[in-house]
Amino acid sequence: MIKVNHLSKHFEDLRKGRVYALEDVSFEVRPGEIFGLLGPNGAGKTTCLRILSTVLKPSSGEAIVAGFDVAHHPAEVRQNIGFMSGNTGIYDRMTGWELVEYFGRLYGLPEDLLQHRLHEVFETLKMEDVRDVLGSKMSTGMKQKVSIARTIVHDPPVLIFDEPTSGLDVLVARALLEAIDALRSKGKSIIFSTHIMREVEKLCDRVAIIHKGQILASGTIEELSTRYQEPEMEELFFDLIRQADGDALELE
Amino acid sequence: MTWRNIRLIFFREVADQLRDRRTLFMVVILPLLLYPAMGIGMMQMTLLFSEQPRTVVVLGAKSLPSPPLLSQDGSRILDQWFVTEGDSQTLQIVSDLPEDDEVGPRTPSELESLQLAREIRLRLDELKRLRDEVQSLTENDSEVVAMKQGQIESLLEEIAEYFARANIQVLIVIPDGFDEYIRRENQRLAAREPSVENEPRLQPTIIRNSANEKSLIAYGRVREAFDNWEQAVLSERLALADLPADLTQPINAERVDLAKGEELAANVWSKLFPAMLVIMAMTGAFYPAVDLGAGEKERGTMETLLICPALRSEIVIGKFLTVLLFSLITALLNLVSMGVTGLHVLNTAGGGELSAVGDVAIPGMEVLIWVGILAIPLAALFASLSLAFALFAKSTKEGQYYLTPLLTVTMGLTVFCLSPAVELTPFYSLIPVMGPALLLKGMLLTSNAQPGLMWYVLPVLISSFAYSGLALAWAIDQFQREEVLFREAERFNVRLWIRHLLRDKESIPSFSEAIFCFVMIMLLQFALLKTFGSALQNAPAGQESWTMLRLLVVQQLVIIACPALFMGILLTSNPLFTFQLRLPKLKYLALGLLLPLLLHPVVVELAMRLAWFFPSLPPHAQAALSTMSDGSVPWIWLILAFAVAPAICEELAFRGFILSGFRHSGRHVLAITLSGILFGVMHMIPQQVFNAALLGVLLGLLAIKSGSILPSMLFHFVNNALGVLHGNLGTIREQGDWAGNWAQQLTVTSELGTTYRLSVVLIAALLAGLLIAWLIKQRTVPMPVRRREDTAE
Repeated sequence: MIKVNHLSKHFEDLRKGRVYALEDVSFEVRPGEIFGLLGPNGAGKTTCLRILSTVLKPSSGEAIVAGFDVAHHPAEVRQNIGFMSGNTGIYDRMTGWELVEYFGRLYGLPEDLLQHRLHEVFETLKMEDVRDVLGSKMSTGMKQKVSIARTIVHDPPVLIFDEPTSGLDVLVARALLEAIDALRSKGKSIIFSTHIMREVEKLCDRVAIIHKGQILASGTIEELSTRYQEPEMEELFFDLIRQADGDALELE
Repeated sequence: MTWRNIRLIFFREVADQLRDRRTLFMVVILPLLLYPAMGIGMMQMTLLFSEQPRTVVVLGAKSLPSPPLLSQDGSRILDQWFVTEGDSQTLQIVSDLPEDDEVGPRTPSELESLQLAREIRLRLDELKRLRDEVQSLTENDSEVVAMKQGQIESLLEEIAEYFARANIQVLIVIPDGFDEYIRRENQRLAAREPSVENEPRLQPTIIRNSANEKSLIAYGRVREAFDNWEQAVLSERLALADLPADLTQPINAERVDLAKGEELAANVWSKLFPAMLVIMAMTGAFYPAVDLGAGEKERGTMETLLICPALRSEIVIGKFLTVLLFSLITALLNLVSMGVTGLHVLNTAGGGELSAVGDVAIPGMEVLIWVGILAIPLAALFASLSLAFALFAKSTKEGQYYLTPLLTVTMGLTVFCLSPAVELTPFYSLIPVMGPALLLKGMLLTSNAQPGLMWYVLPVLISSFAYSGLALAWAIDQFQREEVLFREAERFNVRLWIRHLLRDKESIPSFSEAIFCFVMIMLLQFALLKTFGSALQNAPAGQESWTMLRLLVVQQLVIIACPALFMGILLTSNPLFTFQLRLPKLKYLALGLLLPLLLHPVVVELAMRLAWFFPSLPPHAQAALSTMSDGSVPWIWLILAFAVAPAICEELAFRGFILSGFRHSGRHVLAITLSGILFGVMHMIPQQVFNAALLGVLLGLLAIKSGSILPSMLFHFVNNALGVLHGNLGTIREQGDWAGNWAQQLTVTSELGTTYRLSVVLIAALLAGLLIAWLIKQRTVPMPVRRREDTAE
């Protein structure tokens, strides 16, 4: 449901000239699968996911999401994805219900289906307590719940989560991961970026380790462990990154 | 784009703004409270102001002739000498009546003023003596005169010093025996006796300091009373001599003022309403726009909105409608509140100065509806402009910074509109902000309304909406750009930036470099305006035309070609490419030669037909044009200055650097239009702006299609050379040779000047149209942007 082929993205930077935030990245996410994008800060995870959500345009390469090319059919892509990141805030002067309802309408849900979905989503996510609370009065956990509800209200086949647990306390983070886990069983294609190993180990079917805009390794966790003969995910991650930085140093 | 999404976004934004207490306060509460509060404040100020009487010292009050000017105790000027009742209270008179300082209710400060006034009188006598002496001296005594003049100067200074120390606003000095003198004169006139030779003429002195505002106001009142009193003294004299009372007014014209009270009121409204409407529509748009644009980026909800299926254009239009609504509400509420408060204040505090304004009635219903209608294009323009700025800004703080330039420009235009001499003209009606403001001003001035004002409604509305449409398109364009949406707070460093410019050179300039080049050209032009002007003025007589030509060439080289060449060599890796210096296909050169020949009759015809639309040419431009045809300069030099230099210099800049920069984004239509418009703007004079912008578009098209600058240079040269030729057509027609014959075949002369025959114009226009259509169909020569490392490979 997500197919990324040789995707690159560069920016112009005053200090460094042209900077590649993403360089020749390829991967695939299938329905009923959670794909983890694991990398340190500034690795290019957010850029990659922003391209998938059509907010940024790729410099080269292509990305097909839910059957549509992100560069050529951005509206159709957006219709079929749910996107949530640390940057997708919620409105201060809207209640939880109003916000989810608003986005449901923007996704073009017919009114009766929308009301049905709203009740369903608010029930499954146990959100009755945030229903009539204004965004400015919500706790971080409440806001996160509303964001998830907003992400899934139109029941999209593809879900993109960009570091959804950053800044959350353990309880809220756990609830969130459980919610994502539940979505997998509904057959969604889910891509999930993080820099926390445990989340990957617990949740992801397959994983790609990304660093400085390039994918260093990808596969299921077992595959990676066997390939690099390193059972500990965390060690494997550090080894790969150290190796990549070392190569870069040698080149220079 | 669907209306459904726009409406969804619009309603959400409106609800959001209404839930924001700050916005509600700014939009609704503030105007409702501000004006009444200001009204109360103003009334208090007026009260306080009127309680401060000005001090006037009268010396020699006992010598005042009848009828009495002052009251019995000499403490005020009698009411009867003032036009407005109660004005006598504003002047506090300190007179030497009674003469003994110890008698009478005088305060110590009054006594001091009196004392200092007496000092001044002594010096006044001295001054008079000195002046008389100077009068009596002959030219031979120039040294003595100079000395006496010096004494007079220092005496005046001394008087000024005493005057300031005395803390009085006006000093009136009546000479001793003045009443006797007047009586004697009266009797002499009654007896029809001739006046006695050498008898000194007595005259009172009134001293003021008109640089001091208090003194100026007091003097105005004193003079009014004094004039009326003098009139009475004169009447007495005439009556005594048995002469008619109107002896001194042989003409005595009757003056009729047709202005009615409400018209005076309309005058007040016609100034206040347009200005308030413009400023309030502007501020009413700006704050919500910043909140909806930069504010949403700051609060992190922008990305949430961007990943929903709504198109960017739908989002921007939804937001634009919200801003428009709030701008309208703010503007209209402010006007209503101001109108009602103003009416109330004036009606309550009427009388006094304000009674001259008359009954300040609210303008009629029809006019109020027009205010509402004209508020819409104004609000639409400001809403789209501020939204574009707000979407560009990355934080509300940055957004607020853009208010100042926007407000300054708007205020400038508004102040210009307020000037009584400025009336709506076809040209002004197409200028943003000015069109609606002037139209409104004209409509509020019901009495001496500009004839045919209603004809302007359509052009004003259409042009205003066109401008807001452009601004909205710009806002949407902003919103499509990644670097605007995800601008990061990157550290800006001039050194790094310059290094980046020089290091990461591309084959052609960037969009902003092209804009910068244009700004440089305009700034240079502006800076050197005075230098050129004075050079022209100092030109030796008979050499003006030569100087003009030389200056034109210098201007082309220094102001236009230099910045472009300099930037092209410095900032691009491939100047040849940037300036499109390569050989074109022959067909384009042929077109560059043929097209201007065909277009010239059309341009001449258009210029003549549209002359009414433009303001008349400024004198210096007329002078420049007259050099073309006055025959004082050989035609080869005219061609050089008017055709060769512009063809090379302006083409290098506008079809070279600037057009290439605009093509950076690959949007050719935008590049051609924008470079054409800028080319027009550079010409400053409205007629030429219009003409040059159209030509600029055509030249841009030619340059882009041919992939070379040479055809447009040829076009430019032929076009300008024809202009020179046209200036001399009159002379050519007179010649009997073949050229004269041809000229007579093709052209006609009328009182408007020489134009081509209509048949010639039509055929030329048809052929030119065909050629342009053919040109548009040609394949565009691509101009790939290549970076230095790419080109090096």
